[in-house]
This record gives sequence, structure tokens and C-alpha cells, in this order.
Amino acid sequence: MAVYKRRYNSYTGSLTPQWSRFFVLTRFAFADLFKSRFFVLLLILCIVPCLFAAGYIFVANNKTLQLLMQLRSDMDLFKVESQYFIVIMMVQTQAAFLLNCWVGPVLIAGDLTNGALPLFLSRPFSRTDYVLGKLAVLGLLLSAVTWVPCLLLFGLQSGLARNGWIWSHLWMVVPIVLCSAIWILTLSLLSLAVSAWVKLRIVATGIIFITFFIPAGLGEMFNAIMSTIWGRLLNFSYMFQLIVSHGFREESGRLARRGWDEIPIPAAWGSLICLCLLALVILNARLRARETVRG
Amino acid sequence: MTTPTIELNGLEVQLGGRTILHGLTGVLKSRAIGLLGPNGAGKSTLINTLLGFHTPSKGSARVLGLDSHTSGKQLRSLVGYMPENDAFISKMSGVRFVRYMAEISGLPSEQAMERAHEAFVYVGLGEARYRPVGTYSLGMKQLAKLAQAIAHGPKVLILDEPTNGMDPPARKRLIELIREIREASDICLLLSSHLLRDVEETCDEVLILRNGQIASICNLAEERRANRKFLELETIGAEASFTSALESIGCECAVFSSGRIKVVMPDSVEIREVFKVAADRGVQIRRMNHRRDSLEDIFLNAMEQSGASDGRL
Repeated sequence: MAVYKRRYNSYTGSLTPQWSRFFVLTRFAFADLFKSRFFVLLLILCIVPCLFAAGYIFVANNKTLQLLMQLRSDMDLFKVESQYFIVIMMVQTQAAFLLNCWVGPVLIAGDLTNGALPLFLSRPFSRTDYVLGKLAVLGLLLSAVTWVPCLLLFGLQSGLARNGWIWSHLWMVVPIVLCSAIWILTLSLLSLAVSAWVKLRIVATGIIFITFFIPAGLGEMFNAIMSTIWGRLLNFSYMFQLIVSHGFREESGRLARRGWDEIPIPAAWGSLICLCLLALVILNARLRARETVRG
Repeated sequence: MTTPTIELNGLEVQLGGRTILHGLTGVLKSRAIGLLGPNGAGKSTLINTLLGFHTPSKGSARVLGLDSHTSGKQLRSLVGYMPENDAFISKMSGVRFVRYMAEISGLPSEQAMERAHEAFVYVGLGEARYRPVGTYSLGMKQLAKLAQAIAHGPKVLILDEPTNGMDPPARKRLIELIREIREASDICLLLSSHLLRDVEETCDEVLILRNGQIASICNLAEERRANRKFLELETIGAEASFTSALESIGCECAVFSSGRIKVVMPDSVEIREVFKVAADRGVQIRRMNHRRDSLEDIFLNAMEQSGASDGRL
């Protein structure tokens, strides 16, 4: 089928491995995303808090600088412990939430608007491959603003602190990665499900916000009426905070100081897992090559 | 023995609690198969089942020997599909869209890009390949859909109503392209259309569906080879002796009301012999229409027939 010959020829060349094809979706989605200046700006803004955090670590480990700033060493203002990483995690996961609200809603809607899905699924490409490809976009992007910078900060602190700090704090790598992973998975699946359901970006973004705020409000109403704490299971941000605090061994820390009774950690995990499952059910219902009309 | 292109074994498909395809059974061996039938006959459902989009509730369907359900992925690796409805990503440029689809089919990035350009030039959209697909006219979108269906070099090309919404010159060009593709390679073609002419011009074998059942399977190539000529006569004074005399010279006759007679003529018989027989018996021929058995006749006959067994009317 050479251009100059204008003749049809079948393809006889090599093929890429089957397992790697989902990444084509990711690559094309990234190429589209980086065409947008707003997206690039948003991504940079999401990473800015980490720069401040890195500066904090630098000051915390530089006695000369502390002296220049006329800070007494016994004031212990600059402490890099689990509390520090909890704060960084919380800031970065909120940044990830904003990034997700911008990127997520258009990922699937663009394919569904003009019926492109049958073109994907008429190839040796399953619905799972399709979701994996789209999920990888958000997974990579949100990783870049959550656990990756957190681990870099951890590495920076390890390098600057010396004195075996890394060995006594190595356990923190697990909550950094694991807590980020559950948050990324929850946000990604939710926004993909919304993207598969709603075509307009602004409406989809609104629904993502609503998912985090309205059920939380309803849960608190339920708590007030029934004098219970279980309504808080609908407050997904709070559930995540609980998981993070527990992961960093801070159960009786910040949240307890608010005077809140705590939901058991397995229940918090269960709440987020249920949200993920609900998103998967929606994706399963929406991502079909052909719709079946019942009647 | 060659593998049949399509093999249906009691294929039944239910959607939303309704049976859409009723136990279809048949073997289609030609390289170019037309799928005909009125609206709601089950053409698109059959195509979707062959692509593995629908699971058969009974029976099976095979394309080139591969079961559409159990070997779906393997089968889809051989297929290029041009859907009936809009199917594109509006913000992507035409060539990027086709490259994207080719890469998903497994072509490495460079080859996909090369084939995308080639496919676009081949279908005649070379000048428009950098424009977003959303800005294309309906005919251009159809051609873009064809380009994405052939870019990865499939072995089976499934075209669902390919000429929908095209003006006559564009339709002619598309039909020519389909014929070229068929002749230039060993590709198998399955074309679904409402337009008998599209099917007649591109296909060798026709599967006619009606109400989810097979109304007819007809080998057009054999029909063309048989080259049967018909005379449609309107006569006055024709009696049984006239038809007997025609049959005695080798013709087959079917008599209808009001003196209308359909005569199937063998190659050895000339039309003037019919006039001679009529003159000998004092029969007036008021009108004569000389034609060949067309797909339209086959289609209309299939639509008129009734009574079903093994999924056939």
C-alpha cells in the first residue's frame, strides 16, 4: 500500500507484544495532555509544595543555616519525622485530587462521544486492556505528584540526616507507597467511571467533587440523627486520612486531637474499596462495544 | 479443503431477553460475502456476534475457522472493522487517528505511522489527513473509517453499511476501492448493506436475513456463470399449448395471471424463435422485457418465501 503506488497491500511486518498494547492508549493520552498549557501549569503547581518541603528538609539538616536564622537548636522547630510526611502526603494527595479532576473526566468521554469504542474493541484489545490503558494515564500522573516526590523527599532527608536515620525510618516507605496507591486507585477509578458516564467535562468534574463532599455531609447528618460514627464511612477523604495516620503509626495523633471517635481501620479500607468497586461496576456497564436495548 | 470464510452452526443470539438471531445454520465459502436484509433482520447483530461483541446463547459462529466466542481475540487480530455508525475521535487529526488504531492492532509505532499515511492516501483523503476528523464531511468520515479498517492489513474486512450517507460519485469511488482491495490481496470481505447494488458489485456470495433467520444463501458468482436469461412476456391469447411449445424448444415457463409469462431461456434459444412459436399459435405478444436474473430477483424471492427450518425461512 505504498503511497506512490496507491495500491492495497496487506501488512506482513512484526507486531508488538499483546500485553504492551494498552500502553498505546497511555502514550496517546499523554501526548494530548501535554499539548495543554493549563495542564502543564497545573502539574508544575502540584509539584511546588514538594519544593518547599525539600527546602524545609534542607534547613532542618543545616545547623549553620538555623544559626543564621537565629533559631535555637533546642527549639526543635525543624523535625522530619512521620508527622512531617503525613502533612506532605495530605498536601500532595489534595494536589493529586485537583489534577485528577482536570485530567480524568475527558479520558473516556472523548472516545464515547463519537462511538470510537467499537473500534478499540474490534481489535485484539479487551475492555480490561482499555481500562488499564486509561488507568495508567492517571496512575503515572498522580504518582508523579504523590509517592514519587514523597520518596524523593525521604531520600533527600536520608542523605542529609545521616546517622542511620534511613534505617530507623525505612518503614515509612511502605505507608508512603501503599497509602498513595489506594488514593490513586480510588481517584482514578472514580474519575474514569464518571468519564464513562458523563460527556461534559465541567459536569464530570462537578460529580467528582460531589462524590467527596455530599456523601460526607449526608454521613454527618446520619451521625447526628442516629448518634453514631458510622456515617463517617461516607467521608472518603476522612477515611483516607485515617488510613494514612494509621500507616504512619499516628493513630492517637491529629485526628484524636479533634475529638473524633475513630472508625476501625479495616472499615476505612472497606469504604474506599467499596467506592472502587462501585466505579468498576459503572465502567463495566458503560464500556461495551454495543448497547443492548431491553424490551 | 479450504476453510469456509463464515460458518454458522445453529447460531442463536439473545439481546435484552429477545431472540434476535434464530439458530442460523449455513456455510459461506466465498471471499466476498454480502449480508442483505431489511431493517431489523439481524445483520448488525450477526456482525457484532462475529466480532465477539455478543455471546451466542446457542450454537456457534466461526470466521476462517476461528470461533467468535472462544477464540475472539485471535479472530479480532485478523479483522478490520468499519462500523455503521459514527466511530472516530473528533479532536484527532485523521492520520493520527488511523495510526492510533493501527498501533492498538499491534503495529510498531513507525510502521503504524507509515501505514496510516498510506491508507489515507489510498482512500483518497491524502489532502485532509492533518485535519481533525470531527471537521470531515460524512463521506470523508466513511473513508476515514475505511482507512482505519485497512491500515493494519487485516485478513478479514467487515464493512457495515459502508456507503451510508455518501453521494453517488463518492459511493462509486468507495465501491471501486472495496473491489480493488478485494482483488489486490487475499483479503476476505463481509459487506452488510441495504443497497443491493453495493452487494452485487462487490460480492460473490450473499446471505439474506429476514427476522433473524436465513432467507437465502446465494452464490452470485455461480448465478453469473449460469448467465440465465429471462423474458417477461405480456400476451393475449396464450394457452397451455403456447407454453408447451416453448418448453419443447428448451425454455422453462412460469405462467402468471393476465397473460403474463416468465420464460427462462437457454443460451441455444434465440428470441426470434419465441416470436415464431407465438406467430404459429396466433398469440399476440404485447410486451417483452429481456433481462437477467438479478440480485433484486433473488432478494425479492427470498423475502416472499416462507416456512422455516434450521434457521431458514
